[in-house]
Amino acid sequence: MIKFTIDGQTIEADKGETILEVARREGFSIPSLCYHPAVEPYGACRMCTVELERNGRTQLQTSCNVSVSDGLIVRTNTPDVFRLRQSLMGLFLSRCPNVPMLQKLASEYGVTEPPFPTENPDEKCILCGLCVRVCQNVVGAKALNFSNRGINRLVGPPFLETAKECIGCGACTIVCPTGAIEIALEKEAIYIEKPIGPTSAIYVPSLQAVPRVPVIDTDACIRFRQADITNGKITDACGFCQKICEAEAIDFSQKDEIIEFDVGTIVIATGFKMWDPTQLPDYGYGKSPNIITGLEFERLTGAAGPTAGEILTAEGKTPEKVAIVHCVGSRDERAHSYCSRFCCMYSLKQAHQIKEKTGAEVYSIYMDMRSFGKDYEEFYRRNREEGIQFIQGHPSQVTVDPETGKLYVSVEDILLGMVVELDVDMVVLATAIEPPENADEIASTFGIGRTPDGWFAEAHPKLRPVETATAGVYLAGCAQGPRDVPDTVAHAGAAASEVVRLFNQGEVTISPTVAEVNPVKCVGCGECILSCPYTAIWRNNDEKAEVNPALCQGCGTCAATCPSGAITALHFTNDEIVAQIDGLLRQVV
Amino acid sequence: MPKLTKVKDLRKLRAELHNKVVQRYEVGTMFVVAMGTCGIKAGARETLNALSREIAQRGVNAHVTTGGCIDQCAYEPLVTVYQAGKPPVVYGNITHDKVAELVEKHVLQQKVIQEWIIPFVEPKEKITKPPRATVILCSGTGCQASGSNPIYEAMSTEIKQHGLENEIQIVTGGCRGFCSMGPVMDIYPGGIFYVQVRPSDARKIVEDTLINGEIIEKLCYKDAITEETVPIFPDIPFYAAQQRVVLRNCGRINPNRIEEYIAVGGYDALAHALLTMKPMEIIAEVKASGLRGRGGAGFPTGRKWEAAHDNKGDTKYVVVNGDEGDPGAFMDRTTMEADPHSVLEGLIIGAYAMGAHEGFIYVRDEYPLARKNLQIAIDQALEYGLLGKNILGSGFDFEVQIIRGAGAFVCGEETALMASIEGGIGEPRPRPPYPAESGLWGKPTNINNVKTWATIPHIITNGSEWFRQMGTEGSPGTMIFSLVGKVNNTGLVEVPMGISLHEMVYNIGGGIPNGKQFKAVQTGGPSGGCLPADLLDLPVDFDRLTDAGSMMGSGGMVVMDEDTCMVDVARYFLDFLKDESCGKCVPCREGIKRMLEILNKIVSGLGTMADIEQLETVAWLTQQGSLCQLGKTAANPVLSTLRYFRDEYIAHVEEKRCPGGVCRELITYSIDPVLCNGCSLCARSCPSNAISGERKKAYAINTVTCIRCGVCYDICNFNAVVVR
Repeated sequence: MIKFTIDGQTIEADKGETILEVARREGFSIPSLCYHPAVEPYGACRMCTVELERNGRTQLQTSCNVSVSDGLIVRTNTPDVFRLRQSLMGLFLSRCPNVPMLQKLASEYGVTEPPFPTENPDEKCILCGLCVRVCQNVVGAKALNFSNRGINRLVGPPFLETAKECIGCGACTIVCPTGAIEIALEKEAIYIEKPIGPTSAIYVPSLQAVPRVPVIDTDACIRFRQADITNGKITDACGFCQKICEAEAIDFSQKDEIIEFDVGTIVIATGFKMWDPTQLPDYGYGKSPNIITGLEFERLTGAAGPTAGEILTAEGKTPEKVAIVHCVGSRDERAHSYCSRFCCMYSLKQAHQIKEKTGAEVYSIYMDMRSFGKDYEEFYRRNREEGIQFIQGHPSQVTVDPETGKLYVSVEDILLGMVVELDVDMVVLATAIEPPENADEIASTFGIGRTPDGWFAEAHPKLRPVETATAGVYLAGCAQGPRDVPDTVAHAGAAASEVVRLFNQGEVTISPTVAEVNPVKCVGCGECILSCPYTAIWRNNDEKAEVNPALCQGCGTCAATCPSGAITALHFTNDEIVAQIDGLLRQVV
Repeated sequence: MPKLTKVKDLRKLRAELHNKVVQRYEVGTMFVVAMGTCGIKAGARETLNALSREIAQRGVNAHVTTGGCIDQCAYEPLVTVYQAGKPPVVYGNITHDKVAELVEKHVLQQKVIQEWIIPFVEPKEKITKPPRATVILCSGTGCQASGSNPIYEAMSTEIKQHGLENEIQIVTGGCRGFCSMGPVMDIYPGGIFYVQVRPSDARKIVEDTLINGEIIEKLCYKDAITEETVPIFPDIPFYAAQQRVVLRNCGRINPNRIEEYIAVGGYDALAHALLTMKPMEIIAEVKASGLRGRGGAGFPTGRKWEAAHDNKGDTKYVVVNGDEGDPGAFMDRTTMEADPHSVLEGLIIGAYAMGAHEGFIYVRDEYPLARKNLQIAIDQALEYGLLGKNILGSGFDFEVQIIRGAGAFVCGEETALMASIEGGIGEPRPRPPYPAESGLWGKPTNINNVKTWATIPHIITNGSEWFRQMGTEGSPGTMIFSLVGKVNNTGLVEVPMGISLHEMVYNIGGGIPNGKQFKAVQTGGPSGGCLPADLLDLPVDFDRLTDAGSMMGSGGMVVMDEDTCMVDVARYFLDFLKDESCGKCVPCREGIKRMLEILNKIVSGLGTMADIEQLETVAWLTQQGSLCQLGKTAANPVLSTLRYFRDEYIAHVEEKRCPGGVCRELITYSIDPVLCNGCSLCARSCPSNAISGERKKAYAINTVTCIRCGVCYDICNFNAVVVR
């Protein structure tokens, strides 16, 4: 413990702490422009200069780099200190006259006008080096450094060229005291990484996410990447987010975990995945960065996207002609024979957006326009009125000119009865949707069936659209089949009501028709367990089959499967069935 | 080359080399007594003692040294007599009673005593045959620039043509510091000193001086004040007032031959330190000597070493700061070029004292010859086992490498220098932590200037008491200055600390040329201050200069005469510093820029009194607020001129007049009709045709078209052009 005084007040501090740290903690005001707790002291701005008295010797010293020592006398605002800071602010303000933060600080020292001639009134950089130090020493990207010497000094990427080293983390913009750095979007690089994903290793998954908490992409995070190199041990690399987070909310030790719950009902809302258009090479997806899917277009046009919502080709230009192709992978025997249902409407919306934002010529190539919902047809009409060209037909192929990169879409316009070729700058493919990859796994886990196209099967297409064959398991949204947002909401509402209905009831009424095992006959072969579609049979401690009557739907599969005839379906025993047949025949006869 | 693993080997080698190297400087006779085991048995020690006594008693210009066995044991004791210009003579059976006769006949009567000569006349050791004469041609950067290389060629050719190649040796030596008189040449025996030699002089030198023994007066130094010719170099005032310690070997030995350095006693201090002293004893000795860093700041070297020693760590570094960036200063360069081994020796001693095993010599890129000579020195020291593993059998290991600086002035600052060695941008960082605590790669590091390191061997050899006898109480020892500007003799000057500025300017410097008035002397390089005439009696040492508002710096000394404008001087130095500031901290980067703006305003006649006030404020800020010494001292030219020559600033601002007649916007040229004889030279030279008149009558300058280039002023032979 070290004892010293600041402005006459006795202060205690730990060994190794700097005067500035301690003074600020104790509530003394010392200005600084080049200091940031995330990086090492630099001593360039000199604003934190204070007067130190040690062994009777007084000197002006910067407080950011001097450690406290016993008996030290610190004076934070003597006439000399004031004069020094005042002169410094004069120099700062003359360099950057229009930075509000500097104007404010300067006025605190009585400097209201730049005392020297200003060269560039728009200058914002005070060369404090915080961005350079963060980029070099904390983030480790080394995308920023100083160039030149003396009055010609400036901050920039290596050789003042576009820095390939920049990872777009934005740490520099955060530490910059004057707001001199902005993240500029490099238009040409928009499509380099597909899918168009987050630009930094720490991001909010989606703007609508609740709770809206950022997550760390451990594949991109410098700290975690470094951890791979050093055999799993997390090193002290970067950690800038942790250093600047005032809420101290960053915890690198957090990991993905599996949580188990006991529940009474389950709603399966696993949604869909986009069909991969490379499976049909005719559409040319992957051959040009300007052939994109509808979902990628959504990212491009979204305000949080890489171009901040501006619709641009991969070359960074505004497209002049855009083709939107409907039914890519839908209603196509080579991919999916079903209609993906909502592509028509989102394609109309995108056509409208392109027209509105860029004024480009938009060609909407469709097979049949399925604008079936409320107000949908009206929107379709509006599109036509806006001048969007609708071509009925299906493209035979999309080709890319290897030299110019121009795209050509060949399509037979069935209304004209001729083949037309469109040259466009961008092609948006309204790709089909399909069940997610792990649908099998989900189906077998919950004992629910799937239709031939892979969607989860409902208990009855008309009468029980949200229930499944397994009691207590419900479906919502596209897990059951393609549907648009209003339909999904309605469907999910129905599933929720079913759940609530069960909860209110408090008990379950089961059908009396369930399977029963005769343990004397059962040999424990397990055939019934494999055959049961509802996972209602298990092997008990006596190595015999046993039926859970709450799960059993009385289908009788097990009874038919059992090689030793040990299972009977209650109320559907062979005798009963034979007796029923006899009764029926008797009436007939 | 056998490695020297024992001190005995080093001492023996020195004794052998001494005969060969040092002898060239000796004018008289040298007796070498063979001191092999057999010789001692036969009474050689008695002979040696008797010879020494005899020489002392008779006051003969001769000296005695010992040599190894020459394998003529039957004739022991053996004495070989060397005399310049004569073949050596080997006498046998010289017992102590024959010594008196030997001296009497051989030296005083110049007769060879034939009957004593042993049958085997040719001495076995080839190295002991000295040449008849040695020519030492300076090949420092200064003399190379003024053309010493062609002279070497011409001399070699002439010597060959006269068939003297076996008799006359020509050696390239290091810088003598007298660069304004270069190329310079010494001829031994005799110590004849020729200045401003041209290749065309070679024939005359060979024929007149080397063959006929005549001194060529035309080539001798002529004193500017007394106009006397001075043929022997120690008599020249420029040298006579100096006390050469660090520069002692410069120009006397060939820097590329370690043997010559060893011969004059080199590496003896190292041997002494490594084998007889503990690290703390060395540090105590350096502390006791009061040696202060010669790089400029004058921090006590011993205390710096102690701090580095006390910081524990497996890895420590020692660094030589050879990034001499002050314009006009070249003492570090000279030391590295002309006596690189002295720097190395000091460095090894320091490394041993502080516990470092790795060293760096940081040499600015503009010094290729210094780098070359240092590299040769390192290679030779490695060959002799004076560097590398187990130096002189002491168990101490040390390695050195040379780092090329990239020519940034600020890299002379120690933290910037370290950043540069580490491969970063050469920028200072705040201290603390000091390098002794966390230096190169975070390890304890000690950085000293070239001259500081080169002083160390002398302190170890002669002791701290000897060192303290020179200089002043607060600043002991000698200091090397580079004396330049408006003085007759410019060059490197090593003097004891505390010498007065007056002595520097008028005695050593030979006064101001053309009878002009002294105005100021600027010390300490570009960030030094300008001291006026009434401070001429100021003793030059670290503290006195700082008190006077200037600094010692690395020892630059620029003399200015009445034709100098002090405002312009301040502007000139700031213009230099503007380009050399690294730009890291605000007071230095922006402060220098703003001071320069104000000074530019003042010299163009646009200044106001408010500008002077603002200039003072910014200068104060730069001095008080900067991060490193470059910035802290950058305002010195402004502050010191404001302090001592404020009237000149006021003249510029209020009267719009430049008293020194320098600032172009504030001066007018006119022709004094009385002095002008109408030669028309000025009119013909004027680039803007602003001068007109009739021949044989006074000319006149049209001040409207005059562009104030000053050509007429420089060209007029009658001082008729007047600047106001």
